[in-house]
Amino acid sequence: MEFIQWAQNPWGQEVPLRISWDLFWAALIVGAVFVVGHLVIRPRLLKASAKGEDSPGSAEGVPEKVVRHSMVSRVFHWVMAVAMLVLLVTGFLPQVGIQFPWVTAHWVAGLVLIASIVFHMVHASVFQSLRNIWISPGDLREFIQEMRHSMGQSVESPRKPGKYPADHKMFHHAAVLTGFAVMITGVFMMFRIDTPLFTRDPYLMSDSSWGWVYVLHGLGGVGLVFLTISHVYFAILPEKRWITMSMIFGWISRDKYLQNHDPERWQATEGAEK
Amino acid sequence: MAIFGKDYTPPDLHAKITGRAKYAEDFRADGMLFAKVLASPMPHARVRNIDASEALAMEGVEAILTADDLPDLGPLSERALTMEPLYEGEPILAVAATSELLAAEAIEKIKIDYEPLPFALDPLESLKPSGSNARVDGNTIVNERTEEGRRTVVKELRWSQDVFDEAGDHLPMGEHQDEWSYGDLEAGFAEADYVIEETLAHQSVTHHPMEPRTCMATVQNGKVILHASTQSVARTHGPAAAWSGIDGKDLVVIGEYCGGGFGSKIVGTVNMPIAALLAKKTNRPVMHRITRYEETYIGRARPGFQTWIKVGFRKDGSITALDMYIIQDNGPYGRQGDLSMGPTTASLAYQPQAMRFRGVSVLTNTPPRSAQRAPGGAQIIAMIEPMMDRAAAELGLDRLEIRRTNAPQGKAKVGPQRAEISSAFVHEMIDQAKEKLNWDELKTRSGQRNGSKVTGIGLGFSPFIGGVSGFDGLLVIKDDGKVHVHTGVGNLGTHSFSDTARVAADVLGLEWEDINVIWGNTGKHLPWTTVQAGSMTTHATTRAIHAAASDAKAKLQELAAAELGGSASSYDVSGGRVHPRGNRRGGMSLASAAQKAVARGGKFSGEELPENIHRMTTASATALAGQGLLGVAKDEYDNGGPLWSFVLGCAEIEIDVETGVLEMTNYTAITDCGTVMNPRSLAAQLHGGGIQGFGLARYQKWIYDPSWGIPFAHRFYTARPPTILDVPREMAWGAVGEPDPYTPVGAKGIGEPPIGAGQAALVSAIQDALGGKVIRKMPVMVENILNALEDRPQDTETLTAHS
Amino acid sequence: MPVINDMIPEFDLFQPADVDGALELLAKHDDAWVLAGGLDTFDWFKDRAKRPDVVVDLGAIDQLRGIREQGDGYEIGALTPLSDIENHEAIKAKFPMLAQAAQAVATPQVRNQGTLGGNIVQDTRCWYYRGGWPCYRAGGNICYADTPTSMNREHCIFGASRCVAVSPSDSAPALVALDAMMVVRSRSGEREVPAADFFIGPSTDITRMTVLNGRELLVAIRIPSTFAGAHQYFEKVRDRNAWDFPLVNVAAAFKRNGATIEDARVAVGAVAPYPMRLEAVEAQLRGKNADEATGKSAGELAIKGAKPLRHNGYKLPLMRNLVMRAVRDAQSAQA
Repeated sequence: MEFIQWAQNPWGQEVPLRISWDLFWAALIVGAVFVVGHLVIRPRLLKASAKGEDSPGSAEGVPEKVVRHSMVSRVFHWVMAVAMLVLLVTGFLPQVGIQFPWVTAHWVAGLVLIASIVFHMVHASVFQSLRNIWISPGDLREFIQEMRHSMGQSVESPRKPGKYPADHKMFHHAAVLTGFAVMITGVFMMFRIDTPLFTRDPYLMSDSSWGWVYVLHGLGGVGLVFLTISHVYFAILPEKRWITMSMIFGWISRDKYLQNHDPERWQATEGAEK
Repeated sequence: MAIFGKDYTPPDLHAKITGRAKYAEDFRADGMLFAKVLASPMPHARVRNIDASEALAMEGVEAILTADDLPDLGPLSERALTMEPLYEGEPILAVAATSELLAAEAIEKIKIDYEPLPFALDPLESLKPSGSNARVDGNTIVNERTEEGRRTVVKELRWSQDVFDEAGDHLPMGEHQDEWSYGDLEAGFAEADYVIEETLAHQSVTHHPMEPRTCMATVQNGKVILHASTQSVARTHGPAAAWSGIDGKDLVVIGEYCGGGFGSKIVGTVNMPIAALLAKKTNRPVMHRITRYEETYIGRARPGFQTWIKVGFRKDGSITALDMYIIQDNGPYGRQGDLSMGPTTASLAYQPQAMRFRGVSVLTNTPPRSAQRAPGGAQIIAMIEPMMDRAAAELGLDRLEIRRTNAPQGKAKVGPQRAEISSAFVHEMIDQAKEKLNWDELKTRSGQRNGSKVTGIGLGFSPFIGGVSGFDGLLVIKDDGKVHVHTGVGNLGTHSFSDTARVAADVLGLEWEDINVIWGNTGKHLPWTTVQAGSMTTHATTRAIHAAASDAKAKLQELAAAELGGSASSYDVSGGRVHPRGNRRGGMSLASAAQKAVARGGKFSGEELPENIHRMTTASATALAGQGLLGVAKDEYDNGGPLWSFVLGCAEIEIDVETGVLEMTNYTAITDCGTVMNPRSLAAQLHGGGIQGFGLARYQKWIYDPSWGIPFAHRFYTARPPTILDVPREMAWGAVGEPDPYTPVGAKGIGEPPIGAGQAALVSAIQDALGGKVIRKMPVMVENILNALEDRPQDTETLTAHS
Repeated sequence: MPVINDMIPEFDLFQPADVDGALELLAKHDDAWVLAGGLDTFDWFKDRAKRPDVVVDLGAIDQLRGIREQGDGYEIGALTPLSDIENHEAIKAKFPMLAQAAQAVATPQVRNQGTLGGNIVQDTRCWYYRGGWPCYRAGGNICYADTPTSMNREHCIFGASRCVAVSPSDSAPALVALDAMMVVRSRSGEREVPAADFFIGPSTDITRMTVLNGRELLVAIRIPSTFAGAHQYFEKVRDRNAWDFPLVNVAAAFKRNGATIEDARVAVGAVAPYPMRLEAVEAQLRGKNADEATGKSAGELAIKGAKPLRHNGYKLPLMRNLVMRAVRDAQSAQA
């Protein structure tokens, strides 16, 4: 399998063109393997977390519905999700043989994604605590500890997490990385096509620089394929459904809060919606 | 003259029509290899490394040739192969293999490491402060006079940004490198009642001969026998030897047929060494076929002009002053003569009282240029003729009359030296045109509307050089009584190789059937001959053959006197005999005269030769000595000054004002080319040249991508030479027929001027149909006409080359 | 970008005797190239820009040739030479614009060799793409014909999507205007595709110009009687009279009632990556008198929304005027 498609430019020089579309299939396969792998170890994980439920924290002062995602955050999430799905569908389906006019939808969705993420960045840094999502060495330690604990190794279950457990933070970081890769390269790629926003100039960069831009965009894209698969998979798992629901309704129940979070690390506030 | 000047069947005609004529590509030999070249993908680069190991390992790949195998003829000399390609498509190396396909596949396996270098496509861009040099050492090419004589050098020339900023949409005119003038220009313009000035552009155009520059070489007993596609033959031998580094005595050039050259194959082609040296290297026959695609880049091209022209007229239409500035698109190699021939032609065509020319020849990374039919002349004529029409309209003068007013006539003067030409019968030509065209009626059709179509009438007056003198003639009267005329000219389709030999029949009082023309093979003892270019063959060769035939005649008379008594002058030569005057049956036959000449030896049979002939003629005559009575002489007739021929073209067209589509309805060409040598062939020259001019006027151009330096007009359908479907419904011609008084048979060459006449007449007719609207760039394509009609800006800028 | 040109690479040549045989070969060989008259094909091969391992020559399939009356219309085999169409009495009488369109192609020699099917499915003539440049259409990631320095005199003013190449066919607009059906056969059977849907633009698939996938063949073209004998108009504007692709061409058919246009079809070629049917113009024409004023407003409407490139602005007035002429001609031809 080749990773990058190469072409000869008009002067006969080898230049990178884009990633090999095989990588898309690879991302699907890796995603599938991940899902299957997780399904295999899922019973153990469930057993381990069931133990955790034996020791809920104190319910004192905890409202019945604990706010997990504000309305604004939820709207952002779903706008971004829709944009991302449109981008993946318009980006990859034509490359695997399903032909339809995809370019406009792709860049419009791309702009929506960028706008929503810019909004999210501003909103999150002003109204939310960056510490909630920032991954620290301690998080990683706890994650490893948790994994070992879940896998039945005689390790104590780590402290419960704050608002976001380490795996969520890791997912977010990966999404940030791939997201920025596709967004920044995507903005440049808009110079290659006709849009009302930029004057088309395919010669903005040298052809090999362009090639690497396309490669980066493609790598980000296949990365997002994998991340999307894993994200959707977890979202539909029964044991994680309370989290998914919280992204719809905004709150989690007191029980879930106490079972899964450490109030010291994440202080509960009352849900707006009753 | 009983024979000269009449239609006849040239000796090559049957072979051409039946397909028996063999052009270079038609030759085959046992064990023949095929060569292919690897062409540069970049417009300017340096080859850092060639790795051909994989190619050479292929079974059937026999040899590789690189620039290292070729003699170094100095930095400005183009070679068949190069390590510093100066245009996209320039050959880097050649491979010989047992099949052409294999050669191509081998070439694709060769790895070349190039270092791309800055490149220049557009002369004006190159002159800008930020411009690039087409050659590492500079961007212009200049002829310099030094103490050691003339030399051509490359220089770097940049103009300040101010020059460009101040020019607006006029031609920027910074420091020039060429200049000449005569008369008082300022006074001339001061005297003028009407002054017109214009910035104009003329494209570069590939020659597109039907036969590409294919070569085939064999090696026999150490000698290389080269079948080439060449305009000249005697004069191809030297360059072929020099370019390939083969000793002249070990090289035979054969070129009996040539499918056209138009100036692109004057002394052969620079790619000849590829077949020759690969044959030498492998000791096997090698065919190097050139495809149409390759022909468009390794073939030659006419230089483009970016021009500013200013003309002053008196009320009567006479030209008081002519000022011009030309930026020539020189291509990457040797300096092109168009730059000086353009203004020289104008100086003759319009006889201005005062004139100045300034110019610069800019190197570009585009295919090499060479003379193309009326080099410089066609470009300039096509630019000035429409201006003449506008002046005529402005001054209320008839368009034919304003040309007559300024026409060169008789011993007219030309160029800055004001040299007197040998003859001009232009007034007679204009008179004939006026009558033949029914001009007074025709001109009323100008501007007439018929539905969406409007009629345009245009004139194109085109002078160009038509002769040269001082070459040698060589013929042998053998004991079969036939006259074998050896001629060093080539056969590029004009019939001049045999037309000129007909002089011998007239001088010696013979029938054409008694003449055997020997041509096309440097192994067949050819005399020193003009290059077959610049329309010089007719003039130079009729003179040289006339000299040789006259020499033979004198020798026959002298021989008869010696053998039969009496004085030489009492004998005449006719009807196949040298006989006493008044007794055509007396004396002796040429067959027996030939035997007697051999018996007597000395000058009669070529054992003694004139001192003044060229060493090539001496060698050939020496080889022929003893075969019969030799006529051998140098043309020392007076030439009466530079020789020029003239054509006046008239085009009638219809333009559809809704689509910009142009149809030619009529084209007539009238010429002053001295005595008509071969009427059918003259018609072909006048019309064929005219049609080629239509191509320059309407269709043919290069389009280059400016970012990559790569052109697109690689095939006929993108290069758009005119076809038979594009010629006018009616075409006519006429000739004044007045002999040039300084040349024995009075014939002048006529290859060149028809193209400028056709081009200028068509461009003028377009302007006429557009009601005087000026299209400043050639070729004038459909969109240019439509944009002018719609008062839209043109879609490409006038001064952007190759767009 | 030479390096080497004009040397056809080797390939395996198959010459099936019938359509099924051809389809079988196409199914078997993924990169098989279909060869009809060869006028599009050999240019590609000579330039070594397309190098299939397998070529399926349809030349021996006689069932693909011929012009047949079918129902109340005609069926033309895809392999029918253009010169046969140009000279066919019934086609000339009933569908004159198709005969004229066929006659407007290239040269007499090319029309003897070139087929209707080939003229329909031929690839674009964008000189960058045909020159072997690695552009979008060739599978790359750039359009060289639409950059700030590109030379694009012959490119599109409508329908660009990254690629700005045009459909070069003369017969295609005529077939679109005649509501022709393209008969497409694959191993799973035969389908009819309306001409207007047969051609696709780069927004849908940037590497193909028609709906044909590599395993299908265009076997015939069916022309319904819808416009048989109706007033028709075809005009092509090109540079030379020989072997030149259209700068713009127009094909139009009119059903008239006296001076009134009852129904019209107008299609324009070489302005978009596909033959462009002008439905808005057709709608506007319905119920109007065929005259110069109607033609003028039709022309103006036709070029609405056009986006010229750097060097092809002339295509706007040209297309406008050609549409105008088509409509005006419907007036002049009225009895």
